[in-house]
Amino acid sequence: MAKTPKSPVVDRELIQELTRLLDETGLTEIEIEQDGQRVRVARSAAPVATAPAPMPLAALPPTPVAELAVASFDPAKHPGVVISPMVGTAYAAPEPGAKPFIDVGSRVKVGDTLLIVEAMKTMNQIPAPRAGTVIQILFEDGQPVEFGEPLVIIE
Amino acid sequence: MFDKILIANRGEIALRVLRACKELGIPTVAVHSTADADAMHVRFADESVCIGPPAARDSYLNIPSILAACEITGADAVHPGYGFLSENARFAEILAEHNVQFIGPKAEHIRIMGDKIEAKRTARRLGIPVVPGSEGGVTSDAEAARVAGEIGYPVLIKAAAGGGGRGMKVARSASDLATALATARAEAKAAFGDDAVYIEKYLERPRHIEIQVLGDGQGKAVHLGERDCSLQRRHQKVWEEGPSPALNATAGDQIGETVAKAMRDIGYLGVGTVEFLYEDGQFYFIEMNTRIQVEHPVTEMITDIDLIFEQVRVAAGTELTLQQSDITFRGHAIECRINAENPVSFRPSPGKILHYHPPGGLGVRIDSAVYEGYTIPPYYDSLVGKLIVHGKTRTECLMRLKRALDEVVVDGIETTLPLFRALVRENDIIDGNYHIHWLEQFLARGGMEE
Repeated sequence: MAKTPKSPVVDRELIQELTRLLDETGLTEIEIEQDGQRVRVARSAAPVATAPAPMPLAALPPTPVAELAVASFDPAKHPGVVISPMVGTAYAAPEPGAKPFIDVGSRVKVGDTLLIVEAMKTMNQIPAPRAGTVIQILFEDGQPVEFGEPLVIIE
Repeated sequence: MFDKILIANRGEIALRVLRACKELGIPTVAVHSTADADAMHVRFADESVCIGPPAARDSYLNIPSILAACEITGADAVHPGYGFLSENARFAEILAEHNVQFIGPKAEHIRIMGDKIEAKRTARRLGIPVVPGSEGGVTSDAEAARVAGEIGYPVLIKAAAGGGGRGMKVARSASDLATALATARAEAKAAFGDDAVYIEKYLERPRHIEIQVLGDGQGKAVHLGERDCSLQRRHQKVWEEGPSPALNATAGDQIGETVAKAMRDIGYLGVGTVEFLYEDGQFYFIEMNTRIQVEHPVTEMITDIDLIFEQVRVAAGTELTLQQSDITFRGHAIECRINAENPVSFRPSPGKILHYHPPGGLGVRIDSAVYEGYTIPPYYDSLVGKLIVHGKTRTECLMRLKRALDEVVVDGIETTLPLFRALVRENDIIDGNYHIHWLEQFLARGGMEE
């Protein structure tokens, strides 16, 4: 079940994989974002020394430098976050098989139902506290949620 | 045995219960308020569920939230710890309705012992000696005067819905009685919502001696000896020890057996503590606590029995195989409750613990959930931890306690450690010569300012 959020851990394998990709493809920079983490690996070109000599120095191959820009995105800190007011099970739709209340991109007014949190057979509709657009849905249908858990982000 | 235990409490007792569950191989769920997200036991639990904001009413006392947490985690038992919902009969019943086992006594026993007048009536019926007093509540001043005249002044007026040392007023003579009654009723109404009061003989210098019991709910029960908890400040226990310096083994066995038999007669389930005032060789029942108590480690150290294990086992329906003859008492144990309070003014001192070094060594136990860098939240009790020490004799125990107290470091907040360092050097304490007013008298005469 939910544990308190830990600070991001550096994913060495990911960085090594990205570095390898840089080498293979000859790209100068790769940036990916997944699971709320953003990683950028960039090649910093080493200066090429040229000398007026009969034997030209071989150009040093540019070495990729992993520049770790890990911007961890904590949904709970987003000003538009809607948190769960109770403990229970989150349901995206009014009933099984029905269309979900919201999708990413849905526009909502104050009071519109975003989801249902069910506890002990009681369905509790969770209303939108502000008007705006749903930019992120942080729960899965049927997922247990705790008090204070970020559910939806509305901007 | 249970598949998963949800711990409906916090702080040191939640950690204590968690430790027992881990040793029993039972997965754990820690429920917590937002203020306790970084608590030690939350980190160690297999699962955790945030059940509400800091206020106890919205979290640790929030029955629907705790039930919902049982539902989403599949917990089939709840351990309520002490305080909070541990003596809430309705909570026990609601859990039963949802097929979750409450690790504690039967709801009817919680209810009987929760009403102090009813508890006393029950104790008397079971042959447990009680404090002389009114037969039930006193409803008129005339009745109060009659009862007081019969039992003799001074008398103590107590709230029926009170307990834990709250809601009590002394009347030293007939002329004080009316005022004391009116005040007691008003305070009881305000604090407990019920102004029913009863009257008891007021004992001048009694000791507080309590008996630990364990029953399987199927007619078997044993006692695990006594604890002397006479050192109290404002009716809150501060230092507990076992065996009592005032009792010899025979006296202890006798009162223990009286209580154990009573528990067999009612088919008591779980752990419990029957509390007495003891004066001039006589025991007087005051109340029974139907839960695990803060000072349970004292008993564990001298009997080598894990009381939380036993609680879980009997709650799971296991018959008690432990016989009275299996229970032996070895040596002596003392517990000090270390609070985050100024040791002279007792003003609460919540805040961040900057440095923490717990004592160690043979016979030294710390039951605490704090760690270096932990911030004691201001919303709950101020207990930092319990230091429990065991020795082969009371003297050895005191020496060990003195050493352990001198070794503890808790920096960043104020604690009552200096109080215990002073107590362990006081002649009356060393001699075991004290009673329930001793500590307040010591503080009033400036014992901490020397």
